[in-house]
Amino acid sequence: MDAPRHAASSIEPKLLARVARGDQQAFGQLYDQSSTLLFTLAARILNDRDEAAELLQDVYLEVWRKIAKYDVGRGSPIAWLVTLTRSRAIDRLRARASRGQHVVADSFEHPLVSATPDVGPNPYEAREDTEIRQLMAKAILDLPLPQQQAIEMAFYQGLTHTEIAAKLNQPLGTVKTRIKLAMTKLRASLQETLTQGHQV
Amino acid sequence: MTHEELEEAVPLYAIGALERSERQAIEAHLLSGCTACHAALKDYQTVASLLPFGLTPATPPNTLKAKIMMAPASTASQADTEQPGPRSSLEPGEWMNHLFPPITPARSWPFRFAMGVAAVALIAGGGYIAWLTSTQAAQRSGEIQQLQTAVQQGSARVAALQTELQQREQTLGSLKSALEQRTTEVAELRDQVVQREAELDDAHARLTQHESSLQRLARHSEEFAGLFKNPASKVVSLSGSEMAKSAGAFLLFDPATKKAWLYAFNLPALPSGKVYQLWAIDDKPVSAGVFGLDAGQKARMLIKNMGDFPRMKKFAVTAEPDGGRPEPTGAIYLIGQI
Repeated sequence: MDAPRHAASSIEPKLLARVARGDQQAFGQLYDQSSTLLFTLAARILNDRDEAAELLQDVYLEVWRKIAKYDVGRGSPIAWLVTLTRSRAIDRLRARASRGQHVVADSFEHPLVSATPDVGPNPYEAREDTEIRQLMAKAILDLPLPQQQAIEMAFYQGLTHTEIAAKLNQPLGTVKTRIKLAMTKLRASLQETLTQGHQV
Repeated sequence: MTHEELEEAVPLYAIGALERSERQAIEAHLLSGCTACHAALKDYQTVASLLPFGLTPATPPNTLKAKIMMAPASTASQADTEQPGPRSSLEPGEWMNHLFPPITPARSWPFRFAMGVAAVALIAGGGYIAWLTSTQAAQRSGEIQQLQTAVQQGSARVAALQTELQQREQTLGSLKSALEQRTTEVAELRDQVVQREAELDDAHARLTQHESSLQRLARHSEEFAGLFKNPASKVVSLSGSEMAKSAGAFLLFDPATKKAWLYAFNLPALPSGKVYQLWAIDDKPVSAGVFGLDAGQKARMLIKNMGDFPRMKKFAVTAEPDGGRPEPTGAIYLIGQI
C-alpha cells in the first residue's frame, strides 16, 4: 500500500495547484487521498462497483482537465471532489432511469450509515478520516429516522424536495422542514470540526 | 422570495434538494453579495460533503489507479475543450460553477465514447501538423517527443504495477499453500485427539472393570478369610487326577451360612470353549458352579449355597464345554472326599 497515507479530509489546496500545473505525481497523490471516499460515495449512489469504477475514471479525467477552475474561496478540495462525484453519479442514475432501468428502491433500504457502522479504525485510513467518520456516523444516528430518510433521498438518490414529498406521500412543507432540521442538526454536531478550521 | 425564505432554503440548496427555479433565485441572491448566506452555504456545503464519511469505506479496485493515471499521460492537462451543451437538471448553477463546469458532451457520454472523440481529435491534429510550416513542424515534433516521453512514463508505470501485482499474486499463492498445509496439520491433530480420546475411554473402561474385579476379589478374600477363621468350617482337599497330577484344591464349607469356597491350583489351562466345573456327589453328581483360571493357573470360586454339605460324599472337578453341563461329561481333573 502507499505509505504514508494522507487523509481525504485534509487534501491541501496546494496539491490541487500542483495538479493544475500538470504534475502527475501530485495527481497520483490526489488519487491516493481521495479515491476510497469517492469510490464509496459512487458505489453507494449507483449500487454497482463496476459502474462506480467507470464513473471514477470520468471524474478524475474531468478533475485533471478542469482543475484550473477550482476556487479555494468557495469550498475545500474534498468538498469540490465529493460534489463533483455526487453530481456525476446522480447524472448517471438519471440516465439509467431514462433508459427505464431500475434506479433504486422506493423504500428506505439504504440508510445513511451501515446498520452496524464500521467505526473501528481502518488500517488503510488516515486517523483524521477515522475521527470524522466516527463523528459523522454518530451525528447521523442521532437524527430521527424520517430526517435521515429525507437526507438520504436528497443526497444519495438526487431527489428534490417535491419528488421526495411525492414519494413519501407527505406534505411538501414537512419534507422541507425535515431536511432543514437535519442539516441544521448535522451542522451543529459537526460545529467543532467546522470551526477548528479542518480542511474539509 | 424574502431574505428569510432564501436563508431557509440554503441548507436545501447545499444538499441539492431545490427545484430549478428556487435554485436560480438563491444563486442570484448569493451573487448579489449576501455574506451571511454565503457563510451559511459554505458550512452546509461542508456538512453535505462530509456525509459520505458516514458510510462504511469501500476500497476501489486495485487496477483503477493505473487506468486513471493513463489519462494525464494521454491528455493535455488543462485543455479547455469546453463546448456549450445542454445543462443537466442537476447542475447547481452559477454560484457553484467553480465546482462543476457546465457539462460537456465528452463528460456526459460513456468513457469509451469520449476516447473515440479524443481519437478523432488526434487524427484532426495530425492533419493540422502536416499543414504547418517547417518551423512549426519542428516545434510540433518537440511536443510529440514530450507526448511520447509521457506515454513511455505511463507504460513504465503500468509495467511496474504489473510486476507488483505478480509479486502480490506469488505471495498470495505461497500464503495459500501454507494455509492449506496448516489446515491439513490441524485435521491430523484433530484425528489424533479423537483417537487419544477413544483410547482414554477404553483405558477408563478397563480401569473400571479392573476396579470391579479387585472389589470382587477383595470381597471373595473377606469371605474366604471368614470361612477360614470360622472353627466350625469344614475343609475338604481335592488332589489331581491323571489329567493334572500336580494340581490340588481346598474346599471350605461353613455349615451356618451354607457358603463354600474353592481354591484350586496348578490346573492346566483349558482350550478355548472349555471351563472347569465343580461337582458335589451324593447319589449322583450335582453341579456347584463353573470356573476359569486366573493368570497363575489358580482358581477361586465362592459357592453361595452349597446345600447339604455333610451329606456329600465326594467332590470332583471336570472339564466341560462353556457354561457347564447338568451332568459331568468330560475328564476328571480333581477329586476328593470327606
